[in-house]
Amino acid sequence: MDAVSQLQRQFVEYTTSLYREGYLDDQFTQLQKLQDESNPDFVVEVVTLFFEDSEKLLNNLTTALQQENIDYKQVDAHVHQFKGSSSSIGAQRVKNVCVVFRNYCDEKNLDGCVLCLQQAKNEYILIRNKLEALFNLEQQILQAGGSVPMMA
Amino acid sequence: MAEGINGFSSPRADVFPAGLRVLVVDDDPTWLKILEKMLKKCSYEVTTCGLAIEALDLLRERKDGFDIVISDVNMPDMDGFKLLEHVGLEMDLPVIMMSVDGETSRVMRGVQHGACDYLLKPIRMKELRNIWQHVYRKKIHEVRDTESHEGLEEILMMRNISEQSDDGYLFCGGDMTPGKKRKDAEHNYNDKDFLDHSSIKKARVVWTVDLHQKFVKAVNHIGFEKVGPKKILDLMNVPWLTRENVASHLQKYRLYLTRLQKDDLKSTDSTKMQQNEANSRIHEVDLKGTTTTSLQTIESKKILTGYAAKGGGGGGGHHKASSSNSNIGISNSFGSTQYPRFNSTVPSDQYSWNTGFTEFQFKQEQHNQQFHVENGFTNLGLPTTLQQQNQVNSINNLMPRFQPPDPWTLKDDTSINNLELSSILLQSQSQQQHSSSTINLDMQKKSGVPDFNDPEVSPSLYDALRFDYDYPPDSLEYPVIDQGLFII
Repeated sequence: MDAVSQLQRQFVEYTTSLYREGYLDDQFTQLQKLQDESNPDFVVEVVTLFFEDSEKLLNNLTTALQQENIDYKQVDAHVHQFKGSSSSIGAQRVKNVCVVFRNYCDEKNLDGCVLCLQQAKNEYILIRNKLEALFNLEQQILQAGGSVPMMA
Repeated sequence: MAEGINGFSSPRADVFPAGLRVLVVDDDPTWLKILEKMLKKCSYEVTTCGLAIEALDLLRERKDGFDIVISDVNMPDMDGFKLLEHVGLEMDLPVIMMSVDGETSRVMRGVQHGACDYLLKPIRMKELRNIWQHVYRKKIHEVRDTESHEGLEEILMMRNISEQSDDGYLFCGGDMTPGKKRKDAEHNYNDKDFLDHSSIKKARVVWTVDLHQKFVKAVNHIGFEKVGPKKILDLMNVPWLTRENVASHLQKYRLYLTRLQKDDLKSTDSTKMQQNEANSRIHEVDLKGTTTTSLQTIESKKILTGYAAKGGGGGGGHHKASSSNSNIGISNSFGSTQYPRFNSTVPSDQYSWNTGFTEFQFKQEQHNQQFHVENGFTNLGLPTTLQQQNQVNSINNLMPRFQPPDPWTLKDDTSINNLELSSILLQSQSQQQHSSSTINLDMQKKSGVPDFNDPEVSPSLYDALRFDYDYPPDSLEYPVIDQGLFII
């Protein structure tokens, strides 16, 4: 099997696993469908925006939870934003953490919130690494002269 | 095509819904990019905006520049629902709300505030493909409201398009059957109308700043509880305006006020404060810009911004201590009693307790002109009883020595429960005048002298309230108070 096919197969397997393990959901597929010749780097651009926005939000959350008097409404607002933005690229596990996080905010449960924040950070780092790996694979395929397989 | 056809005067009318001009508002950059891409794929013309205030500015600058607005519910600078209200009232465009939160209560709020649809994120492209239906639907309803020939022509034109290319429906994923029914209904209606109407063509009514100012003035003069489209129309003295135009606008106006009232009843959280602060900043900029000019000659944009500031915070965020409506009551009391052209003492005469205060209020008025500036819209005396309470509260906060007498507070409480607009307004008008005059009463009590013309009182009272502002109150002319900053 030549290099391109190998890479392509790797790509497919990797992508499938991401969906199977719940890192990504259908929204990511939608994003890929939006990509076209007029916008060949669409997915990468969107995901990059997501990374930037997420890091900002996570910082805000960290600060908010370090306050003397925690404003849970503010924390909730940040989590809500994070939830929205993670849903934009289909970062499912991150989104799920946000749901739990918001419940803790409603209860004004500091320990719960701190725990969720940590989980959110972990999930964010995970998805970021995986997506970067995926984009790397794509690059390799393209450089090897092949085309990136479309996921159904 | 003929002028005045909103949004369809461009050559794209023949390929509707392609070229539909959509404004997307979302503070999430990722979503903004995705939505833009999706809408472009639907062959729509997309403009994106990251802030509600920017969006409002854009909409005002480019009147008739957009067909539909899609906005997220949660935005940092302004509540999405407020934006929704503004757009509905000022531009009368269909607005679709979006959120990652699908709670029934939220969706209900969206509908109450006038959203024509509420989409849940993540949004699929197929959901966006069909948004043209809201534009179409609105056109049909507007035609019925305004009974304009131009509108009918639009519908006929659109019908022709759909008749010519059945693909149109398929393209949009719509069902043929409802389309046909729509056509038939319109057909009957259109024919009937053509027979009934005279041959005079009426321009589609666009509620401009001036027009709306006249409207508000008229309503204020008549007295909100007694107002009716005919009376307003007569007072407005705009020859080409019809009773129906005024009626539908009045209806929207009333709904707007009710919703603001309800919103203010709920709003106490920090996001509101942020919004208020943002609004007060905007408003300050705006006010400074308008200091030396008569309000009548103010550029519409500045007024609009001021209005946005007011609308966004429910009335301009002057007071960070409470909801931004605190000063509305004060200024409203002046607003509702003072019209340069009309008999300004009429309303105050209705309330015997008020007569003594008129002069005091007039004096106060100068100090309050900055409040007036952005409260033109609310000169009706927004029936928000919470405003009254907030106003009372804020006064308490700022000047603890003035304790409003309990009967007033009680009255505020009871009226909160009363949602009848007219009676609320009746109360609110009296209360506003009460509230500002409660301070007088207190002073009166304390000094034992019923002298409302005490000049010393007013500066201290209102200086505290206007700590946000720099510009001198005297520069604004008295007559321009109620030019009404409610912009259409």
